[in-house]
Amino acid sequence: MWKYFIRRLLQVPPVIFIITLMIFGLVYIAGDPVLMMLPADATPQEIQQLRHALGFDQPFYIQFGNYIMDLLRGDFGDSYQYGEPALSLVLERLPATLELATASMIVAIIIAIPLGIWSAIKPNTFIDLFATGFSVLGKAIPNFWLGIMLILIFAVNLHILPVSGTGTWWHLVLPSITLGTAMSAEITRLVRSNMLEIMSQDFIRTARSKGLTSFIVIFKHAFRNSLVPVITITFLQAAALVGGSLITEMIFAWPGLGQLIIQAVYEKDLPIIQAAVFVTALMIILINLLTDVLYRILDPRIKFN
Amino acid sequence: MNKLLEVNQLKTYFFTDNGTIPSVDGVSFSIDKGQTTAIVGESGCGKSVTSYSIMRLVDSPGKIVNGEVQFEGKDLTKVTEKEMRTVRGNEISMIFQEPLTSLNPVIKIGNQLDEILILHQKMSRIKAKKQSIAMLQKVGIPRGEQIYRSYPHELSGGMRQRVMIAMALSCNPKLLIADEPTTALDVTIQAQILKLMKKLTEDYQTSILLITHDLGVVAEIADRVIVMYSGQVVEEADVFTLFANPKHPYTRGLLASTLQLDEYKGNLDTIQGNVPSPSNKPTGCYFHPRCPVAKDICRKEMPQLKNLEQTNNRVRCWLFEDEKEGLLHAENA
Repeated sequence: MWKYFIRRLLQVPPVIFIITLMIFGLVYIAGDPVLMMLPADATPQEIQQLRHALGFDQPFYIQFGNYIMDLLRGDFGDSYQYGEPALSLVLERLPATLELATASMIVAIIIAIPLGIWSAIKPNTFIDLFATGFSVLGKAIPNFWLGIMLILIFAVNLHILPVSGTGTWWHLVLPSITLGTAMSAEITRLVRSNMLEIMSQDFIRTARSKGLTSFIVIFKHAFRNSLVPVITITFLQAAALVGGSLITEMIFAWPGLGQLIIQAVYEKDLPIIQAAVFVTALMIILINLLTDVLYRILDPRIKFN
Repeated sequence: MNKLLEVNQLKTYFFTDNGTIPSVDGVSFSIDKGQTTAIVGESGCGKSVTSYSIMRLVDSPGKIVNGEVQFEGKDLTKVTEKEMRTVRGNEISMIFQEPLTSLNPVIKIGNQLDEILILHQKMSRIKAKKQSIAMLQKVGIPRGEQIYRSYPHELSGGMRQRVMIAMALSCNPKLLIADEPTTALDVTIQAQILKLMKKLTEDYQTSILLITHDLGVVAEIADRVIVMYSGQVVEEADVFTLFANPKHPYTRGLLASTLQLDEYKGNLDTIQGNVPSPSNKPTGCYFHPRCPVAKDICRKEMPQLKNLEQTNNRVRCWLFEDEKEGLLHAENA
């Protein structure tokens, strides 16, 4: 297993190199930012001077080489808006985003797994119908609407939860429900269809013929077998969340990456965009790595080599 | 009273959107202690559903609608689910046709063996492990310790069926139901598995209910044979009588369609026609459309399963009824 893990880790640097090339290339194509950094009445000499000082007059590969050297030192350049190192600004926002992503995932799992299992072992009953309805609604309702409705009900009218912002665990409740509901919709369907399939397998009949209780048959023998696809989707969705959930963060004034990125895009703050994309990509690579290792732990038929 | 299991007028129906399918249609038979009884018949004749009904493992939309299954003074169709669980795997256990898919792919062999001992024999984990490894050795797996730590996909089909047998016999059950245990295995492994089943059940004095369509397997290990056709028992006899002197035209057809090594037949005999669709069975005797000796009454009235004179053997056929009584019956009807 460790051999597999190390081999997978060795694949990470090339992927990061390609991502870096893409980030840099896109910004290079987008044009040089010198004009934005200088006042509108700057003379061509001044522009030329600044271009030279910042190295924008050099060929692409030299610029890229310098960029990589800077990256290796953890230097993404300073934010144009704040004048601070871009990476530290991004890393400052990362914990809030991870916190929200984790909480949303937990909400999604808490809803989806029992509901999915329940509707699979009682197919075509009221509970199954309810689960289907829930999934369709969960997928169809847009986050901005659900977020605002939750604020309206639980914060404005009932006064039991804070409207927005961070600080306490209570602040986490509404945004994570908003994100978790949509996530759980998909996972519920997946758990249901997988469990339905597994429950008709021969080894489930064997387990029942041994006299095991339904609880053990369902959770020990069936559920584990249905986990591989469920883990895939859950972690894919989690990966989408670590880049920051723009809309939900805006609604709840959640100081995560999403907000930072949106702001940076408005202001054409390239160092921040680059740093944020880089950090997000790194997180997604790590999540994928974790998923691959989890597969092999859950299903021994998937080999480590 | 030597009877271990007595099935009376068992009816298991499947309630589907396309109507009710009487898969098991009033089946009665009994199994004596230490005896090996085989149920034979074509695919879809209800032999597997009969065995699942005994274990009460028939899934929705199937349901036992009538009859009783007497086992050690209990009617298994009436006991609570909790009581039924103490019977399953403990007093009656089962092995299945597909050893490749009958073991859980993500749980180690050892754990699958242990859990039944921990559940029914209340063993500690350590004791269960010891017992499981001993069981693996008993079913002819020499590296028990190593197999104990393996996953099912690491074993061959024959090995997995041995593991299933070890699992089924680990609580020393009184009855072993074997649903086509050798169908998915190749011939040399089949012989090994049959021999193993026979030896172990003799050692443990376990009765066997063998479900099969393979008359060779029946001749090999059965004491008594029940022939099923379209959800009903059509003939029951001891194995020698059945092979030497089959009564029911269906049984005769089955035997005639087997391959004999010592005679050259050219093409094998077949039974004309197909098994009737379970949702649309013929009137009278279900076999009459395929029967070479069908008479008028066979088309009109279902014969009863009757004991043949001075034997325990039974047959359901007008040929062996008191003809006068039968005809009278038909006229009155």
